[in-house]
Amino acid sequence: MDLLCLGLNHRTAPVEVRERFAVPGHQLAETSAELAKLDGVAEGLVISTCNRTEYYLAGEDAHRAFAALETRLAAEIAPDHDLGDHFYHKQRGEAARHLCRVAAGLDSMVLGETEIFGQVKAAYAAALDHGATGPVLNRVFQRAFSIGKKVRTDTAIQEGATSVAGAAVELAEKIFGKLAGCRVIVVGAGEMSRQTAQALVSRGASSVFVTNRSFERAGELAREMGGLAVRFDEWTAALADVDVVISSTSAPHTVVLPAHIQAVRRKRKYRPLFLIDIAVPRDIDAACGAIEEVYLYDIDTLEQLAEEARHRRQRQIELCESIIGAELEKANLPGV
Amino acid sequence: MDRWYLIASTLFALAGGAWGLWSVLHGTRSRWTMASMVAVFGFQLAFLSARGEARGACPLRDTGEILVFLAWSLTMFYLIVGSAYRLSLLGVFTAPVVVVFHGVALFSGLLDSSPERVASHNFWGEVHAAVSVLAYGALALAAVAGVMFLVLDRLLKDHHLTGGLFGNLPPARELLVSLQRLLWLGGGLLTLGVLAGVLMPRTGSASHLIVATLVWLGYMALIFTQQTRGLTGRRLSWCALAGFVISLAVFAFI
Repeated sequence: MDLLCLGLNHRTAPVEVRERFAVPGHQLAETSAELAKLDGVAEGLVISTCNRTEYYLAGEDAHRAFAALETRLAAEIAPDHDLGDHFYHKQRGEAARHLCRVAAGLDSMVLGETEIFGQVKAAYAAALDHGATGPVLNRVFQRAFSIGKKVRTDTAIQEGATSVAGAAVELAEKIFGKLAGCRVIVVGAGEMSRQTAQALVSRGASSVFVTNRSFERAGELAREMGGLAVRFDEWTAALADVDVVISSTSAPHTVVLPAHIQAVRRKRKYRPLFLIDIAVPRDIDAACGAIEEVYLYDIDTLEQLAEEARHRRQRQIELCESIIGAELEKANLPGV
Repeated sequence: MDRWYLIASTLFALAGGAWGLWSVLHGTRSRWTMASMVAVFGFQLAFLSARGEARGACPLRDTGEILVFLAWSLTMFYLIVGSAYRLSLLGVFTAPVVVVFHGVALFSGLLDSSPERVASHNFWGEVHAAVSVLAYGALALAAVAGVMFLVLDRLLKDHHLTGGLFGNLPPARELLVSLQRLLWLGGGLLTLGVLAGVLMPRTGSASHLIVATLVWLGYMALIFTQQTRGLTGRRLSWCALAGFVISLAVFAFI
């Protein structure tokens, strides 16, 4: 019995192709069970994320199994498409290695991202529950999970934030520790500030205030994040209560001035204040950073942090690959 | 024999600190610092119990014993705070202070090589000495947390955000919370120590008690100001550091 993989991802197929093959989460189990019923296929499992759809099979005859799957895909999903343009075929050791790379985040668009591990686990659990897997896929997937974990713990592949929003969250955690209870004000309701505020909220930050020249736009963003809109001429009053200020207005001049902070320092009892300036031209007067309890970072600093993290992850690839190779060699898996 | 306990304790502190520093510089978490500090604590206990046995009283009769008792108290509070707040790096900063206290006790002749048995006991006197040294252990650890905050604050301000030291330092707010709790604990114990000092029978000059009261007042003023008006992390840290160094220096001269 051979392990087989047929798949497409963000490197081989544009989004308009990927979306046609995407399998919704609630259909993963059913689709995996259907795969296992194909001619020449004994076991089947489908993984589907926004960047990839991959079919893992176990069958006696690779040619027959691939042909049966391709016929089904062509008939049901893409009758007008040549699948060969976008799909990759992998067999035995190559397929197992590919699965380990996917689980470790080495094949992801953002190198080392962690979400894929949970997505592969969920896909496996769904297929297992529906009896679509068997001795080959069970052992290969369980091994891939342990190898994926080992790669993530033994290397720096997932260390450091690779986006501006992620870098801001990491800095916030360095200043405040757990973000639960942290209060945030967003000055200017742009996309970048929305992403950053949302990243902070996803880590537990609460009480998001949003202020914008257009109060209506502030209200929209506040509703989206379960926060509160504040009129633009009243935002300085909120400064006394917040821990983090994210500023991203399109104003041609500075919006947050040292005088605004000086006015509320006493009321704040000199607690640390984290200022994130992601506007160009900058919104926050650089002199604010000279105030003792203020930590000010602009877009360049955050982008540089993200860039350094991306480089650090790139430098880990070789080590990750060698761990995968060594672990697979030790594992003596069926179908590989 | 007690000297050997102290040497072993010092060596463990030295090894734990060095290992921790090496780990920090290589961007990893030191797994052995906490374990070595447990060993430091164990040997300190062995030393103090041997001295206590020889004295037939709380071993706080010479400056060497006071320094070791202070180091023991510092280590104990580190083991409590460090494990409760996951401040493993605190050990890397605490170990050198322990080495210095032990080193001074061992090599400066401050430790009586043949401790004499204490003839008469005074309950309040012993309570005063023991509780005060415990208080200074907590206040020493507050000063250590203050140093850690000052280092982190400088790194955050200067945007040096990628080194091993930065990665391993606990969050600024956690350091400040620990520092404040240690000040409260140290302040509370110091209050008990001063009260016991007032109650103990005195012979000769009252300068020791006056200085102890002034130090207590200083710490109370710091805690009160922090609670009511608030202080920046930097000022609170400098005050905790200065408070400990000044009180240590003052007591060394009286």
